[in-house]
Amino acid sequence: MELAQERDAGTNVISPAGRVDGSNSAQFHEALVGALSDDDNRVILDMGGIDYISSAGLRVLLLIAQHLGGSSTPFAVCSLAASVDEVFRISGFNQIITVFGTLDEAKAQLA
Amino acid sequence: MRRSLNITPVPGAAAAEALPRIVAFVEEMAELDDWAPDLVLRSNLILEELILNTLTHGRTSGLSDIEITLESGENSVTITLVDDGAAFDPLNDKPSPDTDLPLQERSIGGLGLHLVRTMAEDLAYEHADGKNHLTLVARAGA
Repeated sequence: MELAQERDAGTNVISPAGRVDGSNSAQFHEALVGALSDDDNRVILDMGGIDYISSAGLRVLLLIAQHLGGSSTPFAVCSLAASVDEVFRISGFNQIITVFGTLDEAKAQLA
Repeated sequence: MRRSLNITPVPGAAAAEALPRIVAFVEEMAELDDWAPDLVLRSNLILEELILNTLTHGRTSGLSDIEITLESGENSVTITLVDDGAAFDPLNDKPSPDTDLPLQERSIGGLGLHLVRTMAEDLAYEHADGKNHLTLVARAGA
């Protein structure tokens, strides 16, 4: 699971790429946890490079969102592919995780 | 075209080890019959959720075979799954999760089957001849 990361003034932007399914969701979780820091003021997960996510991957996003929610760290995802957006809507994840259309929108509006 | 793949549970192996074969099977069909990209993604998702559910939820007792059959249609694919594990109706035996719960109260249980039930069409289940038979249709661009 490839994962790029960029920190800018307390904003942690994490950009995974590839597919997230039951065979690599544990590595996905591990990589995301490793990319987080207690010093982050806010965290944006740029999903633009992900075209497939199953419930195994949603579970990871839920754990991350709950973890960040527990420390009141603003968290959002952005740039969902149509297929990922569909999965978000069906599962109701768009109601519990903030979704922005683009990374620029997320950077400008996530507070 | 219509093709089948048989998955045999391997004792001690992680359920997810079956996934690469399923993905390869779907992609081969998709290429041969020129499926739309979103049809490939939906078919993969439906198969992953259903098969991992069968392989991981304690229903492997007596399970020796899962037969996956795919049949290409007009912008759609009919998926048939037959397994000889314990009787389980994925359409009714597990309730869908409450997708309106707030973040800290959400859990992931049942979400995979909920995705399948929402995304697929013409779902039908029956237990016959000691086997689970499930048929459903994935459609492109619905």
